Amino acid sequence: MGIGDYPAEYNPKVHGPYDPARYYGTPDKPFGQLKLGEVTEWVGRRNKSPKAIAGLFSRAYWRWSHKYVQPKRTTVAPLIHILAGSMLFFYAINYGKFVHHRNYKHH
Amino acid sequence: MLSRLALRSDVVFTELFRVAPLCANVVRTTQTKPAVTSTNESIIVPGFPKPNGLPQPNPFDGPERDLVNFPRMVRLEEPAKTRYLFVPEEWFEVFYKKTGVTGPYVLAAGITTYVLSKEIWVVEHEFPYVLATIGLFYVGWKKFGASLAGFLDKEIDEYEASCNASRKGEIDGLTESIENQKKEVWRTEAQKHVIQAKRENVAIQLEAIYRERALQAYNQVKRRLDYQLDLANLTRTVQQRHMVNWIIENVLKSLTNEQEKQSFKKCMVDLQALAAKA
Repeated sequence: MGIGDYPAEYNPKVHGPYDPARYYGTPDKPFGQLKLGEVTEWVGRRNKSPKAIAGLFSRAYWRWSHKYVQPKRTTVAPLIHILAGSMLFFYAINYGKFVHHRNYKHH
Repeated sequence: MLSRLALRSDVVFTELFRVAPLCANVVRTTQTKPAVTSTNESIIVPGFPKPNGLPQPNPFDGPERDLVNFPRMVRLEEPAKTRYLFVPEEWFEVFYKKTGVTGPYVLAAGITTYVLSKEIWVVEHEFPYVLATIGLFYVGWKKFGASLAGFLDKEIDEYEASCNASRKGEIDGLTESIENQKKEVWRTEAQKHVIQAKRENVAIQLEAIYRERALQAYNQVKRRLDYQLDLANLTRTVQQRHMVNWIIENVLKSLTNEQEKQSFKKCMVDLQALAAKA
């Protein structure tokens, strides 16, 4: 298991062609179905190695891509996603400069 | 210090990327070692044998394949539903269960109002660009949206048709050839009748020739028999004439003058008797 290899859990004989948007390990309880008390435990169970986090982002990217970019009759939505995302990102990294333009006297 | 750092970095590197352990099913390429395994294992699909030029079954269609939980991936025809060109429909559905239709709009308006009033979102000289971008997208969508979508749909359909053209053409060609073969089979059924007609035709010709030859044989036989008949008739005529001549000759030869005179006198007597009666 190095860079560029498939995940260790992926078995082509069982899983078929590799889907980069899919997690091939044993799935945990989805985050949306958790009770509030279970959240810390759930976060504790997560694998927080850089490789796992990179895999998380990779899967998220591919899920978005399969949903909005790859379909046959895709719309302008992915373009706006990238545009809005980059607007937010650059706003965030330049936020230190923007805060000086505040006009308030009393909040 | 440096060596310790190097050792540490090596350990970290190993931990991070796990280069060192060489599993049996993982093949690595280095500059010294070519990308050829000693085992008979594919470097493309690990866990499967090398093709070695032989036709291989689809490695993903083995008996272990779980098609229920891991079905074949299909490219979507339409993308996921969005509102206002880009907001995912699922976000509204999450709110719909708890707050109804207006919930997400109230939340968005509330957050916007909050960040603007607290100047977390600072209204500085680039703020109008946000409104301008939204306006541009709205105008562009209104003016060109439908026509651009139609054009792109046409393009993608044409592209897909061109991608499928060779396969479709081959299928069409094979279907057509099957139709032609069926038509040929149907035509060969007509050939049976044609061959029967030809056989009858040949039989008629044979019959005609047979009759012609039978007539010829009859004529030839008749000619020969006629010849024999003529020959026999001629022979008899010649013999008869010869016999008549011979008898007359001999009778005339045997007649003496005395007999001639007597017969002459007898003739005269008969004539006188005839004259006396008349």
